Amino acid sequence: MTHPLYGSTAVAGVGLRQYKRGASPLPERSVLVEAIVAACDEAGFDPADIDGFVSYGDDKNEPVRLMPELGMRELRWSSQIWGGGGGGIAAAFGVAASAILTGQASAVVVFRALVEGSSGRMSAAVMAHHLNDHLLASGVVSPAQACAIRAMRLYEHHGVPRDIVDDLVRASYHHGSRNPEAVSYGQTFDVETLRTSRLIAEPFHLFDCSRENDGAGALLLVSAERARDLAKPPVYLLGCTQGAQAGWGDLLENDDADQYATGGFRSVARRLYAETGLSPTDIDVVQLYENFDAQGVMALIDHGFCRYENAAEVIRFDNLIADGGRLPINTAGGNLAQGFIHGIGLPIEAVRQLRGESSNPVAGARTCLLTGGPGSPTVSSAIFANRF
Amino acid sequence: MSRSDGADAPYWKGLVDGRLMLPRCADCARWVWPARHRCGACGAQQVVWEERPLRAHVFSWTRTWHRFGGTEGLDLPFTSVLVEVDDCGVRLLGRLDDPDRVDPRIGEPLVGRIGETVAGDDRIPTIIWSRAA
Repeated sequence: MTHPLYGSTAVAGVGLRQYKRGASPLPERSVLVEAIVAACDEAGFDPADIDGFVSYGDDKNEPVRLMPELGMRELRWSSQIWGGGGGGIAAAFGVAASAILTGQASAVVVFRALVEGSSGRMSAAVMAHHLNDHLLASGVVSPAQACAIRAMRLYEHHGVPRDIVDDLVRASYHHGSRNPEAVSYGQTFDVETLRTSRLIAEPFHLFDCSRENDGAGALLLVSAERARDLAKPPVYLLGCTQGAQAGWGDLLENDDADQYATGGFRSVARRLYAETGLSPTDIDVVQLYENFDAQGVMALIDHGFCRYENAAEVIRFDNLIADGGRLPINTAGGNLAQGFIHGIGLPIEAVRQLRGESSNPVAGARTCLLTGGPGSPTVSSAIFANRF
Repeated sequence: MSRSDGADAPYWKGLVDGRLMLPRCADCARWVWPARHRCGACGAQQVVWEERPLRAHVFSWTRTWHRFGGTEGLDLPFTSVLVEVDDCGVRLLGRLDDPDRVDPRIGEPLVGRIGETVAGDDRIPTIIWSRAA
């Protein structure tokens, strides 16, 4: 039996505003409104007809506050996925779709906005969600350090070669260099740049880490039927799962030993494939949330694209790029090379890629996997498609 | 919740008293860490605290070079270590005495002493691990 989420809702419009961190010309809510209006404009949809919102990652913009600027008549749905990190990003689409499919809302915007002058540093906010005296006493006060300890285990215990991330980072910059909206547009990047960048927390150097931007992103989700009457080709949501399995999540580093060096997606990925009837070989392109490059590797392993033992054979530059790779990732540059507004650029690129609008088009792509923030206590993933 | 009234209060009090105290289920004897008041495996609602020796093995680690806010009380670089306490499997985050910057090896045996970490106006009891002789 087909799952109720399968192809029943679709993204009809996307909007993105991105600036250098600390350089937004407008306060956070104003930037967010611009992104939402842009998403509606390209869909040919009146913002006044929006009636729901979903966000994630402790976003500060309570949706009811957006009503006056959007000219909305009635708010019928607002919710947010738990968690301070980006783990809930894909789940936001599942919740938005659930609201639409149960008739509780009809046009739901999934969004994330981040302007340092309004909300402060995102990394500090993420950590404040988790911080306690056990962490403070050990000096582990940032997502980078917490993820570094797991990356070390991936390399030193599971035997994944450290230079595996070089190819992942190079592929991200390869795509970003050709995307006019990316921070790395027009730049050249080589492995030396990565390896000679300053150490942050071993094994991470600066360029192993995503770096924050100001900005906002918005995606308009409506029923599949309604999307077909709007201006852009619909990008359908085929499935979405969130959660964690026993032995994972905010356990003071006491996750089950066999889950410790993962992104936390095992149960989420298993259900996503089961509910969509798809498998890793059916995925044409991946928008991979990489807060840190090693966590991106873990997410690819969790989603069945490779194993610890053969990761280095699969995660290769030639295989990860849009031009001919079998596992193209982050075709706008991703969090590392496009820009990092808590990951919201990733689903936007999923939509653009499946419409054929990407700066790095994947020939014939039908499906795109979105993986949420790896290592978050609550994680999520989703699959989008342009036909089904 | 502070160190004196959270579920892990006996852990912090133990460090102040110079001892490593860890909680286990009074019924099925599983270690229940992070500390909590109910054993989700057997449903028992009573926890007993037992002293463990300050002996452990390296599970993973990182050496921090960037001055993150909140670490001003520590000289850079400093090494944080995740250890598995011997004979109970509980993992604890702590700091490693690492004057010569020798990379820890996973599985390497460690011995601990109780020190403290300055964090803002607070002085947090902390286990400082060293390589076992």
